[in-house]
Amino acid sequence: MATLQVLTRSDRLASSSARTVLLLLRARALVVLVLLVIVFSALTPVFFTTNNFAILTKHVALSAILAIGTTFAILTGGIDLSLGSVAGLSGMVAGLVITSYHQGAFAAIVAAILVALLVGLLNGFLVVRAGVAPFIATLGTLYMARGAALLLSSGRTFPNLASKSSAVAILGQGAFLHIPVPVWLMLFLYGVAAFVASRTPLGRHIYGVGGNERAARLAGIEVSKVKLFTYLTSAFGAALVGLIIASQLDASHPATGESFELNAIAAVVLGGTSLSGGRGSITGSLLGAFVIGVLADGLVMLGISEFWQMVITGAVIVLAVAIDQFQVRLQARLLPFLLRSDIEAGA
Amino acid sequence: MSDVLLEARGIVRLYPGNIALKGVNFRIHRDKVNVLIGENGAGKSTLMRILSGVEQADDGEIFLEGQPVRIRSPREATALGIAIMHQELSVLPNLDVAENIFAGRELVRGRTVIDKSTEDDLAQRALARLQQRLKVNRQVAQLSLGTRQMVELARTIAHGARILILDEPTSALSTSEASALFRVVEELKASGVSIVYISHRLHELLHLGDHFTVFRSGQVVGEATRAQVTREWIVERMSGRPEEKTLNGAKLQRGSEVLLEARGLTLAASVGDEAAQAPVHDVSFSLSKGEIVGIYGLLGAGRTELVEALAGNRKLGRGEILVRGKTVRIGSVSDAVRAGIVLVPEDRQRDGLVPDLSIRENIALAATSGPVVSRQKELERVRSLVRELRIAARDLELPVIALSGGNQQKVLLARCLMRDPVVLMMDEPTRGVDVGAKTEIYRILRELAARGLSVIFTSSEIEETRLLADRVLVLCQGRVRIELQKDELTDEALFAAASPDVVSTKSTVGVHA
Repeated sequence: MATLQVLTRSDRLASSSARTVLLLLRARALVVLVLLVIVFSALTPVFFTTNNFAILTKHVALSAILAIGTTFAILTGGIDLSLGSVAGLSGMVAGLVITSYHQGAFAAIVAAILVALLVGLLNGFLVVRAGVAPFIATLGTLYMARGAALLLSSGRTFPNLASKSSAVAILGQGAFLHIPVPVWLMLFLYGVAAFVASRTPLGRHIYGVGGNERAARLAGIEVSKVKLFTYLTSAFGAALVGLIIASQLDASHPATGESFELNAIAAVVLGGTSLSGGRGSITGSLLGAFVIGVLADGLVMLGISEFWQMVITGAVIVLAVAIDQFQVRLQARLLPFLLRSDIEAGA
Repeated sequence: MSDVLLEARGIVRLYPGNIALKGVNFRIHRDKVNVLIGENGAGKSTLMRILSGVEQADDGEIFLEGQPVRIRSPREATALGIAIMHQELSVLPNLDVAENIFAGRELVRGRTVIDKSTEDDLAQRALARLQQRLKVNRQVAQLSLGTRQMVELARTIAHGARILILDEPTSALSTSEASALFRVVEELKASGVSIVYISHRLHELLHLGDHFTVFRSGQVVGEATRAQVTREWIVERMSGRPEEKTLNGAKLQRGSEVLLEARGLTLAASVGDEAAQAPVHDVSFSLSKGEIVGIYGLLGAGRTELVEALAGNRKLGRGEILVRGKTVRIGSVSDAVRAGIVLVPEDRQRDGLVPDLSIRENIALAATSGPVVSRQKELERVRSLVRELRIAARDLELPVIALSGGNQQKVLLARCLMRDPVVLMMDEPTRGVDVGAKTEIYRILRELAARGLSVIFTSSEIEETRLLADRVLVLCQGRVRIELQKDELTDEALFAAASPDVVSTKSTVGVHA
């Protein structure tokens, strides 16, 4: 009996430090973010300033908004590669409506969002009905949407939008309580998305489909509708980003949003969402977007070349996924210990 | 009020290359335990999937309370009060216990927000009825297989089903969990739930059942009430012949040469969505030339883990494997094949067949020995194996999924034999094959053993283990409980050895001193 007790005591010790390690691993996006802020603040005096943070958050807002739809898609075990192109297309649609049809900003926004949702619907249809793998389906629509964006203007830019409809500037350049409109949008959308993910049946179904699609179907969850929702959300976010950029530039350019989908996926993965679905969180993606944003911003301030920035960002992403795998393995290894200490604690 | 709550008439279900149900009539009697018996592949689970809306019948009608109904989805089945607990666990591993119980039927407040606290409450109550002390906020991935099943049962209870279908509910349960389940079944029956109970365990069925229906090869071959049923009646109806006590076949020429020796094989348990693995503790055994050794145990006993470790498919924690007296290091499947150890996996759809390839390609897969493949030689080899194993195929170039379950199994067997193995392992050799093919697979294994191959098979079926094995290792919670020789093999001995005793049922997470 004596050996038994010694065993359990050392197990309990192991489990308490294991818990701490697990907790740190799970919150790694936050840990990394805090570390980055500390390091950059120490290295350059202009980093920790209101002005810099205003610019920084405005940049981050774009990839963060895109990351919402991506998070949902990835949580169900899918992916959406088309959203960069969709952002570009919706900006062009808005430009076209204002320039060629002489409509106001409101009509332009509605038209842009509708067109984007159409692409989202197509993605959903391809994945749910036609059974095309999400990667391929959205790769196809990536090309189609970019092509459509170029076709709308024969590859030209729609310039000087604000001169035709002054409301254009609000979305990208406006501010409320000194905080830029895109940042407000980001905060609002993240609030809604986090609520949907954690508090509504739909959110639970998204996790369920990603966790075990077959079991989800057997439990009566409408898997097709859940997946369709994720692609529509993703397209909606892309439309907003396209509109914000058009507003910021006061012009819509058909190449807008190229490779944005990769930034969004990077943010999602950094935030701890598993590419195989079922595990992750909305707030994690927000943190992930900030990690990438802070990294880019800080490296620029330190005068590190753009080329090195790419290398470093890539390394951080790969490292994040490696750590994710490590966490999963560690958790599986430690679980028997953790459970045991739970039982002893009188669970 | 009629005694019959639900009636299915003339149900037909076609699978590619196989008729699963050939016009079945089946009745569910009100407030009774309706037992369904039959070998694997007899069509029981298919019928239950139709009644629960997972699959659609190709022909036939279903009447509930005398009214014709159509059950087109699990959701519609639930709306009609039909709940099923599937044979394969269908839980959402990444959600917690309460979330699983309410998956697809969330309780909402104000039409949008999930009422988590009420859900937790009701989940706790459903679990209490099952006498499960379980935290409702525990993630399901962290639970043992038996507990996950209890979560599924709680799900059906929480939704007030009036027909509850239990498809082999005890295959994963320990004895104490099983008797808790029997109590629940009795209690549900008394409270007005009609139950359909599928199991292979005759003593369970005789204990619980009120009405008995026997399936064989997609047809109902017998119906009776408890008073009319005996053990012999069941076995005879199931197999279509009087019970065989031993298997006749090729006489084995067992040599004394030891082909395989395992020393202290140990695998750590792990819990996770994909990587869930039962532990194996310190398993040692040897295998002689021409011998057939059975590994018997309940679900989660470590059977699959043990053979997969020998086949290089799982990482061995500790232990030594010797082939013909020489230590071999098995770190991968190709290591194992090189050492002459091959495995026909339990789940042939997932781990065995390549569905898009032809029969020939499936057999020849990975059998190449040199850098250049001689198509002619390969074809000859495949043809001779097809003849030898009597694979019923019109054309070897047909896709492998055109074959029946039994013939698919033989294709995998042929693939293993292409590699000239020393030790042939089969994980559940007759899962999902019909009775005829079952006997044939037994005969083939006998013949292979008689020619000097050593065979290891795992099984959760007592009859199969008793009929086929020369010697049986009974696994219980990852340990060899007992080794039984041919003349010691009885149903009682096997069952008793495989069941964890009451004291140690909790020890999946306990300390093994």
